[in-house]
Amino acid sequence: MNNRRHFLVKSASALTMTFIVPSLLSSNAQAKKPLDQKVTDKKSWGMHIDVDKCVDGCTACVDACNEENGLTGFGRPETDSQWIRKIKIKDKTTEKITTMPMLCQHCENPPCCDVCPTGASFKRVDGIVMVNQHTCIGCRYCMMACPFKARSFVHETLTTQNTNAPRGKGCVESCNLCVNKIDHGSDTTACEDACSKAGHNAITFGDLKDSNSKVRLAIESNSPRRLRDDLNLKQKVFYSNI
Amino acid sequence: MLRLLIISSLIFVCMANLQTISAHDGNPHISPGKSKADSQEACVEPTDVMRKEHYLFLLHQRDETVINGIRTKNHSLANCIDCHVSYDEKGKAIPINAEGQFCQDCHVKTATNITCFSCHAAEPRYPNHEKTISKDELKEISKIAKRIKDE
Amino acid sequence: MSDYTLNKLKAPRLLYWGIFLFLGFLIVIGLASSSYMEHEGHYVTGMNNQIVWGLPHIFAVTLIVIASGVLNIASMSSAFNKKLYKPLAPLSALFAIAFLIAGLIILVLDLGRPDRLIVAMTTYNFKSIFAWNIFLYSGFFVILAVYIWSMLDFNVTRFSSLVGKIAFGWRIILTTGTGSIFGFLVAREAYSTAVLAPLFIVMSLLYGTAVFYLLLRVISRLQSINIPDEITKNIRRLMIIFLLANIYFLILYHITNLYISKQIAVESFILLNGGGYTTMFWLGQVGLGLVIPLLYEMTNDEGRSFGLTITSLMVLVGGFFAVAVIIIGGQAFPLNIFPDHIILESSFYDNVIHSYTPSIFEFGLGVGGTSLALIIILILITNLKFIPVKK
Repeated sequence: MNNRRHFLVKSASALTMTFIVPSLLSSNAQAKKPLDQKVTDKKSWGMHIDVDKCVDGCTACVDACNEENGLTGFGRPETDSQWIRKIKIKDKTTEKITTMPMLCQHCENPPCCDVCPTGASFKRVDGIVMVNQHTCIGCRYCMMACPFKARSFVHETLTTQNTNAPRGKGCVESCNLCVNKIDHGSDTTACEDACSKAGHNAITFGDLKDSNSKVRLAIESNSPRRLRDDLNLKQKVFYSNI
Repeated sequence: MLRLLIISSLIFVCMANLQTISAHDGNPHISPGKSKADSQEACVEPTDVMRKEHYLFLLHQRDETVINGIRTKNHSLANCIDCHVSYDEKGKAIPINAEGQFCQDCHVKTATNITCFSCHAAEPRYPNHEKTISKDELKEISKIAKRIKDE
Repeated sequence: MSDYTLNKLKAPRLLYWGIFLFLGFLIVIGLASSSYMEHEGHYVTGMNNQIVWGLPHIFAVTLIVIASGVLNIASMSSAFNKKLYKPLAPLSALFAIAFLIAGLIILVLDLGRPDRLIVAMTTYNFKSIFAWNIFLYSGFFVILAVYIWSMLDFNVTRFSSLVGKIAFGWRIILTTGTGSIFGFLVAREAYSTAVLAPLFIVMSLLYGTAVFYLLLRVISRLQSINIPDEITKNIRRLMIIFLLANIYFLILYHITNLYISKQIAVESFILLNGGGYTTMFWLGQVGLGLVIPLLYEMTNDEGRSFGLTITSLMVLVGGFFAVAVIIIGGQAFPLNIFPDHIILESSFYDNVIHSYTPSIFEFGLGVGGTSLALIIILILITNLKFIPVKK
């Protein structure tokens, strides 16, 4: 009986795996982490954004993020969540106008995690800065501390969350580099996929510790910088050609 | 010989029926609906254990998942919902915390609050596609559900 | 006042119940506001993703600052051995507890998930100043409770001076902690300076003294006794010293920011062209809260109690504006994400000065919380012997 149950359980799990997983996996998954293994510091996820390739008026990354994480607004832009947003800036001296996506910069020394009283803001060992919404009490101190305005507070009751992106009223949230996708073996984020699908290829995501990863190649072939590097937060999101 | 065959096949059918009806370690499924769970013989742990301790598994798994990135299915809330959520005639999932549904029903009876669904989706919902169940699957599930009801 | 005994408040019954019910009503309003905010979500408030801390935080921080400040009177007696204030010391410690409870309740009820208070009490990130403050606040409660006990129980009065000194040290650390909530925020240019900690300490001394004097006036009215002239004169002197200290640290704070050239923008926002925030700063914080009271008290040589009452009220209103300028003004100024660029467009208001219009619910919560402090004081002084009366 016991054995048979285990068999059934396994086959049931296998059944659901075939249900769920394919939708999360992307085709170019490589050396994926087994689902039952903890994440390690052997990987360090990061992102490179080539601002010159980012197109004014294009919001493919924003739309894809909203779709992936179920970020449906209430038509109240001051309180609706934004995990990634488009910004247009002008250089004070050269007057060059550029446009780029802003998102959580996934600092190595994140101020949000320093100030969080419960430790709900935390940095995963693979470098992803995220909110443990089980212990977030909604004090918003992290939002006060973030120099990039990367975080949003959920201001009202949600009912249409995605299974892969739990989020709810009274907690703070921000970009988590599509952590669910990554844990299921993907090495792209929704925004990167959308950007390349739109033909711009401004966003490159990958493992910063892998010298052959596409993000490393992108960083090495450009000379990117971090935003507000005077703060020495060592973000893992790099910008080129600002 | 033919009689024997008929009888044995009848017995077999009955047993097969019996097996599904007495799903979950010989206990009838507590809230028969039209869910995948109705067609399973056992949950991920013995039913008695699940009834009393499911929240402990979920509590343990939630930290493992959020902090350590462990995404095993057995004790994951997403998987619980995937299996236990009921579907309506059109194959659309009914939120599991709706009145009379699997989670809600029992939690109302035991007067305990579920806080999971203030953040977690109460039905399988993934980006880019509506999660419905196939017609055949639904038919199969409805059959079982009806049978359990008739019993 | 060497020959005194402590007594219960003996206010006229009708008056007592009138005040009690009025405060109770305000508390109910506060609770209703907060439960509405929690149920609907914070979108019903004036707070949003730009101004994340609003009116409740102004109330809470003001009350917490007052809480450590009202202990001043007790510290004068125990830590600095000033006999004049000895009779008032237990009352002062009681006020401290009441205001601290009120401030913390407002903070908690404004959380996104107040139901998870237990998480905040059991899960700590020791790098967070908030987490330190949770310890500082709970420690303060314990010390104050012991302090009051040591002053009221004649068997242990010999310890009261020692506990009083500990309480004094603790309150300095506590206010440093409150100031550091803002002082350690590198992201916000208005905040990231350690001067905020001593600024908060002198603010607490000033507002605490003002509140203490006002409450003393009310109690003496209810009890139909007079405050001895000596005390009024002394409190006036204290007020002048604290006002000067406040002005000094305020100037220091702004000079520090002006000296750091990258922060000139935010300074000119507060001091010159911040619209409502500039008005709040000059008229509220500086004018009403510091300069006018100082000028008035300088001329109030005889220490007239009516004048001191008005001054105290002005100081409090000014203090409220001061905290508002720090909390709201600091957030209203957009973050400097691109020091070398001008932000032309953003869907997330990165390029605009944020505005904040508090909702009635936030106000209700703040007023309700403040009433809670007053009702705690009222209940305790009517039922326990706190008020010094001449034998």
